[in-house]
Amino acid sequence: MANEILEEHINSEYKWGFTTDIESDTFKKGLNEDVIRLLSHKKNEPEWMLEFRLKSYRYWLTMKEPSNWAYFPYPKIDFQEISYYSAPKVKPELASLDEVDPELLKTFEKLGISLEEQKRLTGVSSNIAVDAVFDSISVKTTFRETLAEKGIIFCSFSEAVQEHPDLIKKYMGMVVPYTDNYYAALNGAVFSDGSFCYIPKGVRCPMELSTYFRINSSGTGQFERTLIVADEESYVSYLEGCTAPQRDENQLHAAIVEIIAHKNAEVKYSTVQNWYPGDKNGVGGIFNFVTKRGLCVGDYSKISWTQVETGSAITWKYPSVILKGDNSVGEFYSVALTNNHQQADTGTKMIHLGKNTKSTIISKGISAGVSNNSYRGLVQIKKGAVNARNFSQCDSLLMGDKCGAHTFPYIEIKDKTAVVEHEATTSKIGEDQLFYCNQRGISTEKAIGLIVNGYCREVLNKLPMEFAIEAQKLLAISLEGSVG
Amino acid sequence: MSISLENKISTAQNLTAALSRVGDKNNVFGFDMIGEALQFVEIEGLPTNKHEEFKYCNVDAVFRKEFKEINNSFSEINMPPVVVDAINVYIINGRFESVSGKAEGLVICDLVAAQKTHKEVVEKNLGAHAKPTSSVFVALNTAYCQKGLFVYVEKNAKIDKPVYIHYLTDPISVSVINPRTLIVCGAGSNVQIIDDYYSKGANFFSTHTSEIVVGENAQVKHYKIQNEGDNAFGVITTEVVQSSNSVYDAATFIFSGSLVRNNHHVRLFGQNIEAHLNGLIIGRHNALIDNHTYIDHAMPNCNTNELYKGIAYEKSSLVFNGKIMVRRDAQKTNAYQSSKNILMSDDASIYTKPQLEIYADDVKCSHGTSTGKVDEDALFYLKARGIGDESARKLLLQAFAQELIDKIEIPSLHDKVLELFEESLK
Repeated sequence: MANEILEEHINSEYKWGFTTDIESDTFKKGLNEDVIRLLSHKKNEPEWMLEFRLKSYRYWLTMKEPSNWAYFPYPKIDFQEISYYSAPKVKPELASLDEVDPELLKTFEKLGISLEEQKRLTGVSSNIAVDAVFDSISVKTTFRETLAEKGIIFCSFSEAVQEHPDLIKKYMGMVVPYTDNYYAALNGAVFSDGSFCYIPKGVRCPMELSTYFRINSSGTGQFERTLIVADEESYVSYLEGCTAPQRDENQLHAAIVEIIAHKNAEVKYSTVQNWYPGDKNGVGGIFNFVTKRGLCVGDYSKISWTQVETGSAITWKYPSVILKGDNSVGEFYSVALTNNHQQADTGTKMIHLGKNTKSTIISKGISAGVSNNSYRGLVQIKKGAVNARNFSQCDSLLMGDKCGAHTFPYIEIKDKTAVVEHEATTSKIGEDQLFYCNQRGISTEKAIGLIVNGYCREVLNKLPMEFAIEAQKLLAISLEGSVG
Repeated sequence: MSISLENKISTAQNLTAALSRVGDKNNVFGFDMIGEALQFVEIEGLPTNKHEEFKYCNVDAVFRKEFKEINNSFSEINMPPVVVDAINVYIINGRFESVSGKAEGLVICDLVAAQKTHKEVVEKNLGAHAKPTSSVFVALNTAYCQKGLFVYVEKNAKIDKPVYIHYLTDPISVSVINPRTLIVCGAGSNVQIIDDYYSKGANFFSTHTSEIVVGENAQVKHYKIQNEGDNAFGVITTEVVQSSNSVYDAATFIFSGSLVRNNHHVRLFGQNIEAHLNGLIIGRHNALIDNHTYIDHAMPNCNTNELYKGIAYEKSSLVFNGKIMVRRDAQKTNAYQSSKNILMSDDASIYTKPQLEIYADDVKCSHGTSTGKVDEDALFYLKARGIGDESARKLLLQAFAQELIDKIEIPSLHDKVLELFEESLK
């Protein structure tokens, strides 16, 4: 493991920065009602879907772009300079993997998610079912049949619109309405695809479900939507990974993830976000402005977010949980690492409505280079949320004297039975820790890798195995060159 | 002349009219400064709760009242008995009135007089630390303050008796008061200052703005007791600047008020500085008490410490917003912040927002906040020993607050605050 880290250290740069030459069907740049109609038509959507899109779009037009509230300036986004649809020119319905464009398969192999491989290993219960989203379109979902046997629906969002309109109508926008914020409204208007997952009553999903997002074409934005519904007494663990090619333009990623957990259900959502962060001088990179929110609608339900954020030029991301059901539980485990010119503003919102609700927040920020890393979180205990309990811990680690680490917790308590604790610390890697490692023949760079991994362990331990390894490597690579 | 604050703002738009006040011989600020302040008020307007700094502090309530501008006339002030052996300074309805007692190396007078006797000190500091463009309330204060207070502690002077400043407010009608204070502590000086805000239920709005300059090697203790009754509104700004090797130790005690917003800002312009900000807040009835602290670590090797505790009763809301800024050069900074709160009623609310903004890597900073109810186990323990529910609760609350009250080093003041605290629990 250590050797691998060292190796990765040496070939520093962003290693997912390749592009794939695939013929793609891309819309002209620009956004208006016609574009939305065309998009909807292209996807052969029912009338109600188009209505939803137009409603979102009209609402979006009335909104003002949020700006200047965070610490960092960023170039203004020209929403007319973005193409809102880009799809690999493949048939939308594929019977088998053989029909997938071989170039595309190669891309996924490079990404380390060999769909072929997975297919061969069918039946191994520890395997992962993958929904791969390329630019804006879901390319291939594996293991569908296996899952279908259990009654689990796992498919692209577009397919779900066609095949399970009742479920989509019922749940879409339930947690993140299109009126929620500027980017949620934009997403509502132009979202192209994403994943849909439904776990029926009493089913424990036998494998990890995973979506892999990749932005490929230039000049496009990625707007996907993920909807996960866990019915009563069900369980699912969901993984999300993202990469993008190196480009010197900024690309926008404005996604929505909605999770609904019914009575006694549990959803575990893990993300390894590794969008292209821009080069050493801060040129290019993805603007990652996403809205992620879960709703514990039933009693005793649980939603857990785990994220490892190493990519994107700018990240605004606050995976939240609304604890509506009594005795429901919300968790947030996060590692956010910024290097060079990256800016991350991430955290969570825990909204306690139900009785005996509990939430835990563990956030670990690491800043290096000239980056800024902020934790911004809200813990809200509403009146009537009797015996609500929250524990938050936000630690920041600074590497170098040009970066910044900030903590902005908002704590609002309106019930006297609530118990809320918040702790935050900021420090750097101790000279003594490094000395200890050096003395035992561990190079400074390797020692930092070790110490950072130790610092993040609490969070990394929450990730499923496959992801944990990837995340550890990612942390090491992202820190490359930050040893001063 | 009856004007509401809103009218006041709109009159601000008419600059020429407002500037006629420059002729007021009691306002120490010059034509340019007042002009700048009024212009700022005109541009900014009054903050709403959309404003990040006023998210939990709804100042609207202030503007629903019809405030009359204050005249010189006021009813006989019911002075609370003086219990502390001190140099007593009286600020009545926002204007400097008198001082009794003196000490070597200590100058106390009104700002207009000081402008003549201590021209250099006043010119250098007044309005330089609390800039009129830093907030609308400071701007209003700058434009309308009259007969401000000037306290000057000469170089190396050790003042044995505390300087007890009584801010007494008891106007006949609903009023806006604009007290202004400048305290300059010379290098190597040592002084204790007590701000005692007292009113017997008067209806008023205060924009009290103080500037406190702590010179090199100086030691300043600053106690604030706010107990102005349930009709008092105030946005109170205290700007402290410290030089190298100085110590500033502040403790704030708030027992009543309808809307109290304290902005306590400390800027560390030097090395090896120590600053402490402590606070004990009791929220009763419908009070909204908002404490905003800001500590700016601009230079290396400084230590700061904050501890705020709140007890919220009835329908009160307590806000604690503490910000620690550590600038790029401020290596070897130690900054700690802690906020603890107890909710005593279902209708009370507590909002805390401790913030760290850190740009230097070799620092130790932490903050912690906790909110909860009175510990049931501790309560049970006491009850099991035959102590009644009410007394047991009181005992626990006292234990919670004791740590802060004990920070007062003047015995007579300590007892007075303890008494006020016990009274406020009833």
